[in-house]
Amino acid sequence: MKISRRNFLKSSATALFLAGFNLPVLANTKPKKNLVVIMLKGAMDSLYAVPVIGDKDLEERRQDLILDNAVKLDTDFALHPKLNSFYKSWQSNQASIVHATNIPYSKRSHFDGQNLMQSGGHIPYAVKTGWLGRGMNLAKLNGDGLALQLPMPLLLRGTSNNNNFFPAKKKLPNKEILEILKSHYKEHSEKDLEEMMNIISQRSMMTGETMSMSRDNNSLAFKAGSELKKVNGPRVAVFQVNGFDTHAAQSGVDGSHTDSLIEMDNIFNKLNESLGKEMKNTLILTLTEFGRTVTQNSGLGTDHGYASAIFLGGGLLKKSQVYSDWPGLKTKDLFQGRDLNSTIDARSVYASAMSSVFDLEFELIKKEVFWGDNLQNLTNILFKA
Amino acid sequence: MKDFVRKVSFGVGPDERVPTDPLNWAKNQLNSVPKLKWDGKKIYTEKELREFQNKYSLKERKKIRDKYKNDPDTLKKEQRKLALKTGRGHWINLELGIRHTEAIHSNSPVFTKLWYFWANHFTISSIKQLQQFSTGAYQRESIRENMDQTFEKMAFDATVAWPMIRHLDNSQNIGPDSPVGLKRASRGKEATINENHARELLELHTVSPNSGYNQDDVIQMSYLMSGWRSRKNKEGKFGDVYFEPNIHQPGRKRILGLGYNEGEKGLSKVIRDLSKNPSCREFIAMKLCRYLITDYPSKEMTKPIVDAWKKSDGYLPEVHKAAIEVAFNYSPMYKKFQNPENWLLQMVKMTGANIIPSPKILDNHVLGNKINKSQKVLHVLLNSIGHHPYFSKQPNGWSDISDDWMSPELLIRRLVYSKEIFNKIKKNNQSNDFYAEMILKNFDNPNQILKTLNKRKEPIDRHILLFNLPEVLKS
Repeated sequence: MKISRRNFLKSSATALFLAGFNLPVLANTKPKKNLVVIMLKGAMDSLYAVPVIGDKDLEERRQDLILDNAVKLDTDFALHPKLNSFYKSWQSNQASIVHATNIPYSKRSHFDGQNLMQSGGHIPYAVKTGWLGRGMNLAKLNGDGLALQLPMPLLLRGTSNNNNFFPAKKKLPNKEILEILKSHYKEHSEKDLEEMMNIISQRSMMTGETMSMSRDNNSLAFKAGSELKKVNGPRVAVFQVNGFDTHAAQSGVDGSHTDSLIEMDNIFNKLNESLGKEMKNTLILTLTEFGRTVTQNSGLGTDHGYASAIFLGGGLLKKSQVYSDWPGLKTKDLFQGRDLNSTIDARSVYASAMSSVFDLEFELIKKEVFWGDNLQNLTNILFKA
Repeated sequence: MKDFVRKVSFGVGPDERVPTDPLNWAKNQLNSVPKLKWDGKKIYTEKELREFQNKYSLKERKKIRDKYKNDPDTLKKEQRKLALKTGRGHWINLELGIRHTEAIHSNSPVFTKLWYFWANHFTISSIKQLQQFSTGAYQRESIRENMDQTFEKMAFDATVAWPMIRHLDNSQNIGPDSPVGLKRASRGKEATINENHARELLELHTVSPNSGYNQDDVIQMSYLMSGWRSRKNKEGKFGDVYFEPNIHQPGRKRILGLGYNEGEKGLSKVIRDLSKNPSCREFIAMKLCRYLITDYPSKEMTKPIVDAWKKSDGYLPEVHKAAIEVAFNYSPMYKKFQNPENWLLQMVKMTGANIIPSPKILDNHVLGNKINKSQKVLHVLLNSIGHHPYFSKQPNGWSDISDDWMSPELLIRRLVYSKEIFNKIKKNNQSNDFYAEMILKNFDNPNQILKTLNKRKEPIDRHILLFNLPEVLKS
């Protein structure tokens, strides 16, 4: 039997009560913590978004991709000037970057890379669940995932009762029809259909306003924020931003890579706006399948590379920082002589983030979610305990 | 019996009679490849469509990008222009029209449902513009045309089809010890195998990982396949697939314990052996049962199909007949969750809804002109319901596991698009009387369905209820 979150809370509450805990106090001291994951698809160019300052090699290799007005973050790194919301969070200690990081995958196929960044595994398509779904299941978070897209992403699979939202822009049939269907499903023991129809007919998201709602990430993020804010709302939200695969015309502050970065930045913005104070109990984390070549190509773009960066946001961060074990950009330092090297397994960040948000031991996550792979515990460096 | 008809086809249409002997009705469709029902002026070959894709080549697009690299607005406009001129966006509509006409208007819907199975088995996923130009034609020529041949023949033709070679990068699969490989190495350039196609041929198309192949087998398979490529000329235009000895890895290869001499013949020989491998027939039998009967089929279900394969040496009409017979036997006990496209087609078939653009509408399209709504209705619909046969994201194709089609939003799509389709049904067919007869023709348990439908009076409400009942979602 699938245990819904509410049932689980009920049963654990009973157990705690029997053990003599003072329940109301316990409930009040534990805030609801949220994790938002943004998948950046197409390979985000970390050297463009978060360039290293004054690096001769970079300047030489990317004459047309150097941003004049990049915003200085610390002595070594700067930020793309259009990432306004991210920078605002940075100034209030709610934004970080992990640089020169990637999942352990170096073959440059979007396809395999996007599969692995979600499954957390080593062999494309071999694992049928996502690291986030497995982590949530470990934390007994069932019915707490919300995907802002049409199918359920691999990332969330591995736990039950996940919800998703992607405006159909068509009116749902009236309530009576949904109720008739629900009772028909029930009568005929169609558990999955009944469960989904329950979600559909109960959720607050399917109101008239969503009819005119756009499917862009701005609107989706605002909606997600308002859902995450609810005490009984989801605890995990998953977004995707496309268009990072800029083999050409990436150039300049107004190039196409910038459009995708702005789309990501807008998600930060809208979440901030709609989560408000609850942003302090929220963590935002980005994934991408790999980075892009250090050297620009003749079309003023970049090709598939290796390491990239992770953007982090929200009040669960320890402080604003660029965390990196910088490998350097001299030819000898590059992966296969062309790409930024990866010095941090991105899954160390994923595992540490889950440890912080789900209140699980890092070692347990490492063992149960990532098969005991050799991951670094970065919880204390990056996140509030 | 009626449930079985829906299970293996798309149901019984308004002007059709319920087959009196459904099992033989189904089996009789499987002996040969029927002529396509589409009566448009022209059906284009994959080779012809490749010429259009060649005009939309990377090189052509790069020319535009370079020219307007500092002017994103004009860049977008010029890109659009080139796309329309080369038929990007049009060919899909034409191919979907051909595809769906086979489901709705042909006398071989069972054959068609199996065609969809094989097209998905030998998937071309939506990369490198293939979905826009080639996939539809490939599914007709390399897949459908081979459905009265052996599996071995279909597997070989699919493997050396230009869209597949392009899809899985085999042109870049170069034997390191081949003349070209050695020459490149002497100039300090890398020349390597590309394992992509070799791995998928083993994993997805024939024996599956259950056969126990290892990384060495994959490498050896890549060696064996090196040389099968399509040449790209200086303008970036692709030619036919052929065997180029100068990039073929010399020496004998060993795959799953069997030896192969170097050269062109290795590929047909290895595909023959893979087709005879027990893991291959077990894998395909499992997938057929999964498509028609249930997510996780039992050995008892797959056995008759495996036996038919053994007996006929993988002759597809016999394999198909065995699968249909198994589906018939298990039909009362097992209902299979229908993927969105097959669900949509059931609804269209049973109600007679008019959604396929006429051959005239598509034939009248002039390349370069804007594509209008009435032309792309199927394309838009399939995208909206989240299941477009040319836009699979992965080389393993669309899933046949129910869980992958279960999300609240995907169920919402079924609710709202059943409503949309109702408006495409002609007035006479919208009446409650018509529905009563249609339900009688298509379901073994009409009373149970009518009981639920009778909770609403309005025809549109009854329509939405019907097409979201488990009796329709699962067949």
